[in-house]
Amino acid sequence: MRFLERIFFVDIIKGLLLTLKYTYSKTYTEQYPTEKCKVAERYRGAPRLNNDPETGETLCIACDLCAQICPEDLIVVGSQRDPESRKKVLTTYTFDTSRCLFCGLCQEVCPTNAIELTQDFELATYERKSMLWDRERLEKGWDRIEGKNYR
Amino acid sequence: MEFLLGYVLIPTVKIVALVLILSGVVAYLTLLERKLIAYIQVRLGPMRVGPHGLLQPIADGLKFILKEDIIPRRADALLFTIAPAISLVPAFVVFAVVPFGPPDMFRGTIETVLGWFFDAATVQAVADNTVATGGFIADFNIGLLFVLAVSSVGILGIILGGWASNSKYPLLGALRSAAQMVSYEVALGFAVIGVLLVSGSLSLVQIVQQQEAAGVWYVFVQPVAFVLFFICGLAETNRLPFDLPEAETELVGGFHTEYSGFRFSLYFIAEYANMITVSALAVTLFWGGWLRPFPNVEWLWFLDLVPALGWFVLKVFLFLYLFIWIRGTLPRFRFDQLMRYGWKVFLPVAMANVIVTAAVLLVV
Repeated sequence: MRFLERIFFVDIIKGLLLTLKYTYSKTYTEQYPTEKCKVAERYRGAPRLNNDPETGETLCIACDLCAQICPEDLIVVGSQRDPESRKKVLTTYTFDTSRCLFCGLCQEVCPTNAIELTQDFELATYERKSMLWDRERLEKGWDRIEGKNYR
Repeated sequence: MEFLLGYVLIPTVKIVALVLILSGVVAYLTLLERKLIAYIQVRLGPMRVGPHGLLQPIADGLKFILKEDIIPRRADALLFTIAPAISLVPAFVVFAVVPFGPPDMFRGTIETVLGWFFDAATVQAVADNTVATGGFIADFNIGLLFVLAVSSVGILGIILGGWASNSKYPLLGALRSAAQMVSYEVALGFAVIGVLLVSGSLSLVQIVQQQEAAGVWYVFVQPVAFVLFFICGLAETNRLPFDLPEAETELVGGFHTEYSGFRFSLYFIAEYANMITVSALAVTLFWGGWLRPFPNVEWLWFLDLVPALGWFVLKVFLFLYLFIWIRGTLPRFRFDQLMRYGWKVFLPVAMANVIVTAAVLLVV
């Protein structure tokens, strides 16, 4: 039996049929720069400082909780007390992505959902100092400032 | 005038057209191979140059031309420079005797076109000349011997290239190539003899005509010979699973390690042209050449709507697909396995096939 199988190339034909099956199956390749990869639903990527969608004002109440919980101490919240309303108002907010380990504790602790780790994963830059994200970049997002173009 | 037209001008046109078409097919065969291997491996393959990578062969060709042509300092410069050409030329020359259409293939075209310029007698003389009208460059009565002889010369290019590189890996590749070609050419020859015994002719055109007359493709008469021919053809063209002369993983590219730029591309073209040649030969010898399936079954007349050239190209393409498909499926043989199969399996089987065929023909 084994002899007959070898004469008629049974194993080779089986192998050929297997590769034929894969030839016409769906490919896994993602055309990355032109077509973004799908990341997991709960993926933690680039940080973003959310604004109130109605008023456009920042949601951050400058409570400094994120800066305190951050294991890397990379968030610096600058605030000023408004002399009239006696409220703390956010002035500066820096987020050092070069040190961030994307643990997500800042967004966990934020009482107003102001700081959020988005699904954007393209954090590469040309120089080290642009890894330090200021308030403007955190609010507007990376690509609106730099203008990403791939090719 | 008839002589000039029938034996010089029209054949020249055919030769130029064939060389150009063959080069184009070779270029796109590389793309087909890359795409197909990619799909087998659940990838996409080249996608960037042109839609779905369709212009990739042109980009590759440009790259080869623009790259530096390096000749290693201690290499044998003369041999090193001519070796790729030795490999390339026979690959194309073999196609001179491969028929891709019946002997009166271009008769209608020639009669029409020449009718515009010449008188009826001249046109008639040229149209009766199969050298001009045939779907082949030349129809030798020793066509098959010519193929075997010329394709053996191509192997010299590999051996010389490996030798002249003055480098260890190419030399090993050349040695392997020499051993492999010697082993497998014998079995290949015996496989072909089976067909010769049945057809009684060495002319490739007549072999196809015999298949038409017999009403059956020789693959059904000589199945063993066909399988042997195909396997040995894989070995002769250095295709996987027999690509030991250029085994990338062990020999860093084998005989063409030291080659770069255009000379490397000559080897590359030669390999793919050889693939086409072996496919075309397999089609001609075993699969009825330009004949449609079931050439003598009347009610399948609608198959004749596809021209003879169409059937030939389709069959050759299927073989090329099979070549690439096998490359995507099988791993490379070890060298001792290669030798064992060549001498202890394929050669005895091929000889037995010849003897059995001869005996059967003697009795029948």
